[in-house]
Amino acid sequence: MDLSLVMAQFLSGLFRGMMLFLIASGLSLIFGVMNILNFAHASLWLVGAYFAYTFWYLLQDYGFGLWLSIALASLTLAGIGWIIEVVLIRRVYDRGLPEQLLLTYAMVLIIGDLIKLTWGVEDRIIARPPLVAGPVFFLGIPFDSYFIFVILVGAAVAIGLWWFLKKTRYGHIVRAAVFSREMVSALGIPIPRIYTGVFVLGIFIAGLAGAVQAPVGSITLGMDMAVIIQAFCVVVIGGFGSLLGTFVGSIIVGEVYAFSILFWPQGALVLIFVVTALILIIRPWGLFGTPMRA
Amino acid sequence: MQRYVVMKKYWWLALVFVGALILPLVIQVFWIHIAIEILILGLFAVSFNMIFGYMGQLSFGHAAYYGVGAYATGLLMLKASVPLLVCLPVSMIAAGICALIFGYFCIRLTGIYFAILTMAFGQLMYYIIFQWYSFTGGDDGLQGIVPPDFLFGAIPYYYFTLFIVTAGLIVMWFISESPFGYTMRAIRDNTDRTRFIGINVRRYMLINFVIAAMFAGLAGGLLGPFNRSIAPDLCNWHQSGIPVFMTVIGGPLGFFGPMIGSLIYTFLFAFVTGFTEYWPLVIGVVITLVVLYMPGGVLGLAGERMKVYRSKRVKAGANESVDMGSV
Amino acid sequence: MKEEVILKVEHLNKAFGGLRACHEVNYEMGAGELSAIIGPNGAGKSTFFNLLTGYHRVDSGEVLYKNRDITNWPPYRIARLGIARAFQVSNIYPALTTYENVRQAILTQQKRTLNLFTPAKQLVKEETLELLEITGISEHSNVISGNLSQGDKKRLELAIALGCKPELLFLDEPTAGMSGEETHETMGLVERLNREMGLTILFTEHDMSVVFGYARRLTVLHQGAIIAQGTPQEVRENETAQKIYLGEEA
Repeated sequence: MDLSLVMAQFLSGLFRGMMLFLIASGLSLIFGVMNILNFAHASLWLVGAYFAYTFWYLLQDYGFGLWLSIALASLTLAGIGWIIEVVLIRRVYDRGLPEQLLLTYAMVLIIGDLIKLTWGVEDRIIARPPLVAGPVFFLGIPFDSYFIFVILVGAAVAIGLWWFLKKTRYGHIVRAAVFSREMVSALGIPIPRIYTGVFVLGIFIAGLAGAVQAPVGSITLGMDMAVIIQAFCVVVIGGFGSLLGTFVGSIIVGEVYAFSILFWPQGALVLIFVVTALILIIRPWGLFGTPMRA
Repeated sequence: MQRYVVMKKYWWLALVFVGALILPLVIQVFWIHIAIEILILGLFAVSFNMIFGYMGQLSFGHAAYYGVGAYATGLLMLKASVPLLVCLPVSMIAAGICALIFGYFCIRLTGIYFAILTMAFGQLMYYIIFQWYSFTGGDDGLQGIVPPDFLFGAIPYYYFTLFIVTAGLIVMWFISESPFGYTMRAIRDNTDRTRFIGINVRRYMLINFVIAAMFAGLAGGLLGPFNRSIAPDLCNWHQSGIPVFMTVIGGPLGFFGPMIGSLIYTFLFAFVTGFTEYWPLVIGVVITLVVLYMPGGVLGLAGERMKVYRSKRVKAGANESVDMGSV
Repeated sequence: MKEEVILKVEHLNKAFGGLRACHEVNYEMGAGELSAIIGPNGAGKSTFFNLLTGYHRVDSGEVLYKNRDITNWPPYRIARLGIARAFQVSNIYPALTTYENVRQAILTQQKRTLNLFTPAKQLVKEETLELLEITGISEHSNVISGNLSQGDKKRLELAIALGCKPELLFLDEPTAGMSGEETHETMGLVERLNREMGLTILFTEHDMSVVFGYARRLTVLHQGAIIAQGTPQEVRENETAQKIYLGEEA
C-alpha cells in the first residue's frame, strides 16, 4: 500500500478524531459526573458553529476576526449552557432515565428549529484567513493547514482538562463526585453548584468544538445528527467519564472512519457501530471507564 | 356472571370500538388517513410499552423492528407479489428474528446501557438498510407499495387496519394479564427477587423483547401499503423516539396509555404541520412540558399505583437491587 | 435417629477485598431441622445465605444439596430445587398488591409463568388465599404492598418464600420489626411448618428469646467463622461464645 496514502488517511483520521474528541469530551464529562446523557450535545455544538459564523461575519474586516469569533462563540455557548442547566436540566436530576433522555431529546428538536429560525436554511461558509487557507506540506503530501490548528486545539483541551481534573482542587472535587456524590455532599460541598459548573464546562467545550469546526467546509442544518451518533460511539468505546477513554475512543473512531474509506466507503458507520455494539456487549463501561458505573 | 363483570368494567372500551367502527361514515377522507396512522403508530407504541411499562427498560431502538417489518412486507409485495395477508405474519417473524439476535445482547444490560445498545442496534439496522442499495433501494426507499384490490381506498384500508390492530391489542392485552405478563411486572418491580423465586430473568426478558418486536413488525407491515412508500428513516432513532413520546404522554402504566399518546401525538402532528413547518419545535416544547409537569402522562394523573411507582423511582436508572442485608 | 443430611457445606470461603466474610465454614443440616445461626452484626450471616442461594460466588468450598453440588449455581436454579429464602430487608414487589406478590411465587413454582394467554386473575386463587391466611395478611390482599407496615411486609416476605413450596427455607431475621405478639405468631407458624410439613428451616435472629425458644440447633458465627455449635443449652454454656458474642452484645 502506498505510504503517502496511508499517511494521508492516518492524518485525516487524526483530524477527525480530534474533532470528535472536542465534542465527546463534554458529553463524557457531563455523563460521568451527572449521569445525564445529553442528546442535545451536538445540537449545541452546531449552535457554536453558527455563532462563530455570525461573530466572524460581524468582525470580517479585522484580521483576527476568526480567532476572536471562536472565543466569543465558546463563551456564548457557556452562557447558554448555564441557562439550560438552571432552567431545564436541574429539574430532572432526581427523575428516572426516560424523563432525562426525553428532555435532552426534546432539546435536540427545539434547538434544531431555533437554529433554523435564527440562521435560516442556507449553508454558511466562513472564509478562512490566509494563515490557514493554504495547504501545508508534510512528507511531500499536502494537508489542510487548518488541520494543524484543530489538532492543536484538541491537544490543548485535552491537556487543559487533564490538568483541571488532576491538579486543581475543583477538578478533584469533580472526580470525587463521579465516584460518590453522597460523599462529596457530606463534605459540605454543594453538589448542585458542581453540576452547574460541569455542565457549563461541557457546553463551553462543545461550543468551542463547533466554532473550531465552522471554517471546515460549510455549516449546514442537520450536521448535528450525524455527529451526535458518532460522539455517542466515542464515549461508549472510551468509557463514560474517562478523559483518557474519550481521547482514545475519538482517535479510534476517527481512524476507523478514515481507513474504512479506503476499502469499504459505505461501511464506515456500520463498522463503527459494530465496534460500539461489541464494546457494549463485552465491556459496557468502555475501555477506560469504571465498572461500578455499569 | 364473570362475563357480565368484564363487560361492566370495559363498557367504555366497547363504546370506543363502536365509535371507531362508525367513524369513516362521519368524517372526511383526510381524517380517515389520520385515524389509520393513529392505529398503526399506536400499535407500535403499545408494543414498545411491553418492554418499557411492563418490563421496566427503556428501548431507544424499537424502530428497528418497525422498519424491518415495513421492509419485509414492502419487499415481498413489490418484488414477489406476495399477498398482504401473507406478508404480515412474515413481517412479524422477520422482526422477531432480528429481535432475537439483537435482544440476546441487549437484555444483558439494564438502564442507560440498555437504552444505548438498543439505540446502537437501531442505527445499525438503519445503516444496513441505507447502504444495501441493491436490495432495499437505500436512500430512495421503496416506492409504489400498493394494497390489494379489495383494500384499495381509505375506508377499506381503515377497517382492515382497525381489525388487525384491535386483534394485536387484544393479544397483547391477554399477554399482559397472563402469568407471563405479571412475571414481566415482577421483573420490573424487583428483578433480584424474581430470580430468587426461580425465574430465569434473562430468558424471560428476551422472550418479551421478541414478542414486543413482533408486534412492532406488524405495525410496520401495515404502514407500507398505507403510505405507498417506505424509507430507511423508519429505523432511525428519531422514529424510535416516537413511541417513547407517545407512551410518556399517554402514561406508561396503563395498557392503553400509548394508544392515547398516539391519538394526541398524531392529531397534534396533523394539526401543527397544517400551519407551520416548525413541528420539531412544537413537539419538543410539548415533550418538555409533559416531562416536567405531567410525570404520569394523561393516564397517570390519578391512581394509587402512581404513588408507589413514583416514590420508587427516586434515583436515575432502572431497577436498583434491594439491600441484601448486612454482611 | 440420624436424619438424612440434605444440606452440606464444606470449607466455604468468601472474602470481599480484605474482609473475610466467610472463613472455612463447614455446616450440615438434616432434613426437618429447625436451626438458627447467630452472631454479631458483620459476622457473616447474610453472606452465608447469599453464598448458599447463589447470590455471591464462593471463593472456595462446596455447597451440596441432597448430595448435588449446587456451588455457584445461579439463584433461579437453586430456587427451583426447592430452596427458598426470606430476606432481612423485605424484598417484596412494592408496586404489586399483596395478593399479586404471593401469586407470583406460586405461579412460578407451578411452572405456569410461560403461560401467555390465561388471565392470571383466574389462576391459583385457592393456593394464594391459603398462604395469605396462614401468614396472617389476607386482610391486606388488595393493598399495594409498598404501603404495608414493616411487620406486614415481613409476613409477606415469608409468604412469598412459602409460595415457592420449598423443602429448605432460609429466614433472615424473620421477626425483625415485629411486636411481641407478632413475633409469637410468626415463629409459631415457622414451628408448625417445620413440624407438620417437614420443612427444613434455618434462620438468623438477633432476638435471643426467639433463638432459644425455637431453635433446636444453634451455630455461632464470628468474623465469618463458626465458633460454636450445638444445642442452645450447649452453646449457652460455651465459653468462647459467651465471651465473643455476649461480650459484644453488652
